[in-house]
Formats: sequence, C-alpha cells, structure tokens
Amino acid sequence: MKVALASTLKTGVPVLQVRALSLRMGARRLIEQLDFEVQAGERWCVIGRNAAGKSSLLRALAGLGPTPQGGAVLLQGDPRALVDGPRAAQLRAYLPQAASDRFDLTVRELLALHRRDAVPSRHATALKRQPGGPGAARATVRGHGGDALQALAASLDIAALLDRPVTQLSGGERQRVGLGAVAAQDTALWLLDEPVSFQDPAHQRSVALWLRAQDRRAVVLSAHDMAWVQQCATHVIALLGDGTWRAGPAAEVLSAQTLYETFGCPWRQVEGQWFTGQ
Amino acid sequence: MRWLLPAIALLAVAVGLAGAAPDLLWSLRLPRVLAGFSVGALLALSGLAMQVLLRNPLADPYVLGTSGGAAVGSILALLLGGLMWLGAALGALGAGLVLLWLANGRFWAHAALNAHEDDASARLILAGAMLAAVFGAVSTLLLTLAPDERLRGAIFWLVGDLSGAGDARWAFGLALLLVAYYARRAAAIDRLMLGSETAWLLGEPVRRLRQELLLLACLATATAVSLAGAIGFVGLVVPQMLRMGGVRTTRQLAWMGALGGGALLVLADTLARSVAWPLELPVGAVMSLIGAPLFILFLARAVR
Repeated sequence: MKVALASTLKTGVPVLQVRALSLRMGARRLIEQLDFEVQAGERWCVIGRNAAGKSSLLRALAGLGPTPQGGAVLLQGDPRALVDGPRAAQLRAYLPQAASDRFDLTVRELLALHRRDAVPSRHATALKRQPGGPGAARATVRGHGGDALQALAASLDIAALLDRPVTQLSGGERQRVGLGAVAAQDTALWLLDEPVSFQDPAHQRSVALWLRAQDRRAVVLSAHDMAWVQQCATHVIALLGDGTWRAGPAAEVLSAQTLYETFGCPWRQVEGQWFTGQ
Repeated sequence: MRWLLPAIALLAVAVGLAGAAPDLLWSLRLPRVLAGFSVGALLALSGLAMQVLLRNPLADPYVLGTSGGAAVGSILALLLGGLMWLGAALGALGAGLVLLWLANGRFWAHAALNAHEDDASARLILAGAMLAAVFGAVSTLLLTLAPDERLRGAIFWLVGDLSGAGDARWAFGLALLLVAYYARRAAAIDRLMLGSETAWLLGEPVRRLRQELLLLACLATATAVSLAGAIGFVGLVVPQMLRMGGVRTTRQLAWMGALGGGALLVLADTLARSVAWPLELPVGAVMSLIGAPLFILFLARAVR
C-alpha cells in the first residue's frame, strides 16, 4: 500500500493547511480562527470535552457538513480540493465515529470498495495518463493485491475476519476494519474520528503503534484517553469549548493548565503520564 | 447461482408456455409470458434501486407506495383520457419524491452532505406503508366514481393482473437497458450502499447517482404498473433471497434479480391461471399471498 503514496505526495507543501477556520453549531461557537499545518509523519490529536467540536472539526476537514463559517482548508496546498469530490478522494480518507452498515458486505468486499483504484472515475483515468500518477501505482497494487490486502489485514489483526459480514463484527473489530478501509483508500491525509474508542487495551496499543508506523501519512484524529494520546500523537489541538483553542507539539500543549482549561477538572502527572484528580 | 438462475428462468418460461393450445401459443400465451417476465424483472430492478436509495434492504415499490402512486396516476390518466403510461410515470415519480422527503428531509439539497442520511428503517417502512394506504384509498375512490362498464377490469388491474397486459416487448427492452445501466454503474452503486457520505468521500457523484436511481425506480415501476397493475413484493423478495444466497454486489444483484423476478412472476402467473381453472385469479393476489409472509419473516430477521 505504501508504494502508491509517494506518487501523490508533493514535496515541500504541507499535506493539510487550515487557515482561520471558524465552526459554529447553531448559535454555539465551537472553533474560532483555527490555524494549523500538518506535515507527513505528523499525528495531530484533537482533544476536548463532549460536544466541544472534535467531530465537527474532523468532518469539516473531510469536506462534510456542517459548512464552516469562515476560513480555508487546503489539501496539498490546494484550497479547491475539498470541493471537488473525485480529487478530494485522492487526497484524504475519513473514519467516522461509528459505522452504519445496512447491507451484509464481507470485510474483504468493504475493503475492496474503499480502494482508490477500485473505480476508474473520470478523474482517476485522467491521472493515470500522467507518468508517476496514481495509475502507475495501480498496476503495482493490482499485481500483488492479495498480498497487500493480507498484509494490511494482518497489521490490524483483522485477517481472520476477511470473509465475515461487516454487520456481524464487534464494535472494536468494525473499527479496525474501518481503519483498514482508510488505509485501502491510500491517501496522504487520514482523518480519524475516535479510532480507538471501542478497542480493548491491547488493541489500543497496537493501533497506536500502527499509526506511528505510518510515517509518510499525515494524520488528524480525536481521542479521549490522554495516556493513549501521549503514546500516539506528535501534536495536540485542545478545543476549550468556547471557540478558543491551543495547538502545537504534544509536549507543549499537554500541560496541567491547558488540560484544566480543556476539561474543567484538575490533572496531575505521574511518571510522565497525565491522570485526572488531585 | 451463475448457472442456476438462468436455468430456473428457462424452466419458468417453459412451465408458463406449457399446455397452451397450439393456435393460442404465439398469439396469446407467449405475449403473456413475456409480459409476466418483463414486469417481474422490472419490479426486481426497481426494488433494488429503492433499496440502494433508501439504504434499506426491505424497500419495495409496493410496500412503500410508489406502485400505488403509479396506479393512481394511471387511473387518473384512464379517466381523463390521457396516456396511461405517462400518468403512471408521474404518479410513481411523485410518490418517490414524497418518500425520499419522508426518509431524508431534503432530497434535492446536496445529498452527500446530509448528516441525517440514516433513517431508522422502521420509521421509513411505516411512512411508506401509510403512503401506500393513502394511494390505495384514492384509487378506490376514483374507481367508485368511474363509469360502471370499466369498473370490473379496473379492479382486477388494481390488484395486479396479467390477463389484460398489452404488448410487453418495449418493457422487456427497458428491463435489458436497466440491467446494462446497473452493470455500468455497478461499483459506484456498491459504494452508495455504504452510505451517501462514504460514497462522496470516495469520489462518487452521489447526487447524480441518486437522481439516476430515482428515475430508474420510477420508470421501472411505472412501466410494470401500466402493464399489469400494482403487483407487490417481487422487488423485495427477489433481491432479499439473492442476498441470503450470498449475492451482494450490484453487478450480480441486477442481472440475477431481473432473471429471478421474471421467473418468479411467470410462475406466480401460471399458478394464478391454473389453480382455479377455468377461473383466473389475479396474479397480484397470488404474489401478495406469497410475498407478505416472506416480508414479515425478513422484517423479523432485520429488526432482531
């Protein structure tokens, strides 16, 4: 899966640039004038209370509603990319907070449908003609598609589920399948809304390691477990709930002061890890 | 499945043609079997489109009232002297739009950006059943107002009946055309089954796809209804059985659904013709007797 990526990465341009982004929900200000840039290899974690706007932010970055009140989201430096569905599909993948499956597809079929090269949309066909475009990678993926799928499934511990219907999976299994679908789309930017909320401790850790191994992707995700955030994230965006925010390297943002402002409860650090309570 | 279904379809056609007097075979029986096969195929294809549009495996043009809309449209056209097929098409389209509005709130808005795309299936089925009830009542009212000599035929037609079906060659052609459409759009429709948002995130032209599927569902329903009245449950039973048999991709569901729907209706019609011979029962009644219990079974499985 990694083979295809190099061709779509423009060097020197941040994978994601967010400029003066403002989000509201009804009359409530979720985010005012948010600025940040994400490079390949960085994992930005959005933290905040329930309903602080984490999911709204990730949806906005994916191009899903609600529409931001102002600001710009640039993918690979292109402010128009999110408006162009086929182009955006080449650049970003999104994991929703919860899956909503209605039809009994198998895991294998679901992953195949998420593969960027599965459908020759008009745009993909145009790109294919460019030397080094995704089409170049297409042959590679096709060539040992089975191996790539097996490797992906093994890395997420879903290899045994490939022929099971997605409707019969547990919450944690379905979530890892969702991560597999994101990986199958093979984009430079991943937007993951609470990727480990249903994972057992062992899988929380293995997903963190899996994400850390994706060193050529840029990842923006949300999570609630500060120990996990410390394990996984390189950067943190704290949403304070009144529109204000703190963003920067994880070590800088994760302070007793900011955590208190974010969650409204006291925090203490024990052996480098953050815990709630006095 | 790949070989079983064509075999079943051939067998059904053979059974449908069997026993006809030689002089009536070409003039009466073959056109009737063709009409039954085409109507069944169109109903299955229409059901499939509605299942994708509403993301509900239990969607069906009869259960959700679009057949009823087409019936009201046809009766109005019949009474006012308009084109019956056009009336049926407009009626089905109107009913389809009301249904999507009930399911989604705002169909013509940017469908992909609709956060509430997922309707609780029970709510949709109930809303559709009410829509069907309203159209049923309107049809009955219109028929009571109709001149008497047309009444008996119209009631048969309302229940669903193939004895009066006219030339079905164009309906057969339409069914072929729709199977070709499904084959062409198969992967995009598969992705639409994952949800409008997911399909849009994967780069599919969601809004246009949904419009095409709505048009397809209405054309197929209208054509089926104007030929043979409101026959129910084919669009539900056939795709559902195929799914239970492990057929899950649009490409296969489409052609297998068309064959299966055609075969099912030809067999049901044969049963309707022969079970009380020399009397003929309306095939719609036979289909409902088969389909309604199956629907309840599927519903029980889906709700769980």
